[in-house]
Amino acid sequence: MDAPESGAAAGTVPLRGLGWILAALLVALGPHLPFVPPWATLLVVAACGWRWAADRRGWPLVPWWLRILVLVIVPLAVLGSYRTVNGIEAGTVFLALMAGVKLLETRASRDLTVLAFIAYFLLYAAMLRDQRLPQLPYLLAGVAFVTAALLRVHAGAGGISPREVLGRAGALSLQALPLAVLLFVLFPRLPGPFWGVAGGQSARTGLGDEMTPGEISDLSVSGDVAFRVRFDGALPPPAQRYWRGPVLHEFDGRTWRRPRAQAFPEQEVVLLGDPVDYQITLEPTDRQWILALDIPSEWPEREAYRTYDFQLVSPRRLTEVSSFRLRSHPRFVAGAELPQTLRRKGLQLPAEGNPRSRALAAELVARHGEPLAITEAMLRMFREQPFVYTLDPPRLDENAMDEFLFETRRGFCEHYAAAFTLVMRAAGVPARVVTGYQGGEFNPLGGYLIVRQSDAHAWSEIWVEGRGWLRVDPTAAVAPERIEQGLIRAVAESEPVPGRLRDASELWSQVTLGWDTVNDFWNERVVRFNAARQMNLLERLGIDDPDWRTLGLGMAASLAAFFTALSVYMAWRFRAPARDWPARLHAIVTRRLRRRGLVPGPTEGPVAFLERAEAACPDLAPDLASIRGLYAGLRYGPRPADADLRRLKELVNRLRA
Amino acid sequence: MAEPFRGLRSALDARVQAWIRRRQGPDPDTVRLDRRRIYILPTSLGIGYAAMVFAMILGGLNFGNNLGLGLAFLLASIGLVAMHHCHGNLVGLELRLAAAESTFAGGEVAFRLLLENPSVAARPQIELAAGSAPPRVADLPAAGPASVELRLPAPRRGRVPLARYTVATRHPLGLFRAWAVVHGDHHAIAWPVPVARGRTPPGVETDTGGAQDRAQGEHDFAGLRPFQAGDSLRRIAWKAYARGQGLLTKQYAGTDVVSHVFDWEALPALGTEERLAQLCRWVLDAHERGEAYGLRLPGVVIEPNVGPGQRERCLNALALHEDGRGRA
Repeated sequence: MDAPESGAAAGTVPLRGLGWILAALLVALGPHLPFVPPWATLLVVAACGWRWAADRRGWPLVPWWLRILVLVIVPLAVLGSYRTVNGIEAGTVFLALMAGVKLLETRASRDLTVLAFIAYFLLYAAMLRDQRLPQLPYLLAGVAFVTAALLRVHAGAGGISPREVLGRAGALSLQALPLAVLLFVLFPRLPGPFWGVAGGQSARTGLGDEMTPGEISDLSVSGDVAFRVRFDGALPPPAQRYWRGPVLHEFDGRTWRRPRAQAFPEQEVVLLGDPVDYQITLEPTDRQWILALDIPSEWPEREAYRTYDFQLVSPRRLTEVSSFRLRSHPRFVAGAELPQTLRRKGLQLPAEGNPRSRALAAELVARHGEPLAITEAMLRMFREQPFVYTLDPPRLDENAMDEFLFETRRGFCEHYAAAFTLVMRAAGVPARVVTGYQGGEFNPLGGYLIVRQSDAHAWSEIWVEGRGWLRVDPTAAVAPERIEQGLIRAVAESEPVPGRLRDASELWSQVTLGWDTVNDFWNERVVRFNAARQMNLLERLGIDDPDWRTLGLGMAASLAAFFTALSVYMAWRFRAPARDWPARLHAIVTRRLRRRGLVPGPTEGPVAFLERAEAACPDLAPDLASIRGLYAGLRYGPRPADADLRRLKELVNRLRA
Repeated sequence: MAEPFRGLRSALDARVQAWIRRRQGPDPDTVRLDRRRIYILPTSLGIGYAAMVFAMILGGLNFGNNLGLGLAFLLASIGLVAMHHCHGNLVGLELRLAAAESTFAGGEVAFRLLLENPSVAARPQIELAAGSAPPRVADLPAAGPASVELRLPAPRRGRVPLARYTVATRHPLGLFRAWAVVHGDHHAIAWPVPVARGRTPPGVETDTGGAQDRAQGEHDFAGLRPFQAGDSLRRIAWKAYARGQGLLTKQYAGTDVVSHVFDWEALPALGTEERLAQLCRWVLDAHERGEAYGLRLPGVVIEPNVGPGQRERCLNALALHEDGRGRA
């Protein structure tokens, strides 16, 4: 080991590679910055700065008791903020702070190496946190950089330029890449977690389990992908693309909620028409919702279940990119019989509030009586009266639905679905709000449907005797473009649409679709790579019936091949210097002349020999003279030129012919 | 800390060294390190690195996190590539002893090793070590030589062998240490430490042989000085002794080139090491004064001569007197 630079002036000796290690730590901390509390970031950066200054100025290091004190405080501080030191969030902060503590006592290259290991681990944590493609280049560069820092620490006292350090570390990482890929493909995967499950994934945008129309719009009209769908057969028409999310039953006058208790009797579903088979790949949401096409009819039993209100739910939270093979039936009769508990749930209203809506309901009942006629009347009202579809609705106060229906008349799907459901309930028709996504954009490059956060939607379901739950989408009455062509076509031209280009040029939309295809490939082939896909891949490579032994053999073979290739490279890298070209060419000339009986004398130099040869072979004299001149210039001249060497080669070749 | 383990470890080291010695046999003067003789093991940092990568693989498998797994595999591969680079940094290196520098006992002898890098790539961080001294580090440029001096303590006179030295490297990441052991029969010599000045050499005369007696007539009586142990009995001024003036030794001053022969037998009253120390002092003083001198030890006769070569010859003879015996 490197001898610790201790002694009388312990800690005051400048440390080789300290700056590199500090930079590597900060690089590794980078991806965590949005998730690490500012005080922790500040502490780590301060520790880095202090250690750097101490190194430059020769300040003494921190006394042992202060280090112990810090060592006790740090876990407590993390515990205080997170109630744990486990999990990605708390673990990252803990690791970063421990790096800061380690800096206080860093005095030998061994300590710097430990810091490099911490930096590697921080990068690892960043990958656990987020597996999306865009951060991959940063992480790869980060690994190479930490490796460079490690290399600098062990490069010795001799001067080595930063360029050289980066070059060597980059070469090392690039040489390692092929083996890493082989290991990635061939290393046996486990079918499932063998202890615990990664927790603390940061929450992402997605559907919630409640909605409050009229609050400041928190609808994130982001272009982020919610999920991607690959259909086995034809793409269903837009009017059938309702992706079912949480169903909201409980209404308190302002907010619609998904019931906490889920113990309701299951309802019979009669499937009609042709099924739709597809594979859905959901981006991580930290929720359990699986956004199946309405109505899901088959799903993998161990990975999902269907609730009493026909939503498909995963037993665990989807913190990673997750993929499911599903079957749905767009035509169905669901819940022809309505149990009493569900009827009560479907008619529940607060005791008072929104009086004008209730009056409207009473009036509709009086005029039309029958549920479907009331529905038709409501939709006609939305269609014919000046209702506006907008993403920027005015704020609504106390009796929000009354205000919306009779005064502002501006809103988006939530407003229409909520108002409609409220009126239907007041009219004695069991009704509920369904949230989810509607529509999606087909990506012809990848052959799949992209559903984005901006496709989030809310609609209603009413229950009709004998026909079960029927989907009613009041938004379709106001803005049919929303259903047929998506959100962007539905809102007025003048309205600002955050986060999304309104009229993307053809080229731009090609670019975004292309980028999405790459991301989809990444998700499907890399992030979702597992034991089953591993075997699939081997089968496609022509191996029959692969199992773990195949994997072991493959790994052994690829390791052997890699090491052989590396040995060949090392032999090339440490090859002997080439004999210099002029000497080699002169040897050829000498061989050639030997055939004519000319042999250089024991003390005859190359130039003298050539002069003698010119005299002896007049036919070759001009070439030999040129060769002699070039040879002398290249051998003894001040600045041998490549062009001269080329010319010499030409002449020698001509001589050979 | 753990003393018993240290004992165990050194015993293990000795076994390993013996095995290596048997395996490699004696080495020629110029040693080219081939693959067969290069050993490589992870350092403690390398073991820590492996543990970290292992933890990453476990975590990645457990959480089904392919990116984390990918990072772990990349780090594992970097470690393995670094291992090859570490090994390759030694393969083909040529070493030979350029010079051995002798010294007086108690100092350090130096062995100058010449390292020849016969390849187009530089070889950084080559460590050379012998004994327990901290290693010397050299960066070898591409296709270039470097020389490294290994110093060994020489507590006693005699041969200081460089029976074995190791050439090692931890380049590039410090995760592995590759090393080779080179055996040779090189040695430097530790000369006896001279005594302090005081006793004068017995001039040109000795009590054995007549070679020096031949020149006696050319010397004039120069006076008397007190007897010192080791003075020739023939030089004692017996007349003065009879007068009761105590033991005095006659001194002569010559006008010719002074030529001493320092004789082991001239110092019968001293022990072996003391005699050698005294002879060493005389050799050094005579050399300093530019006088010619010779040396007579049991079984060794060095004819008088001058110059650094003569000095070294004499000192070496003194150092190697009864080499290894009677000096336990």
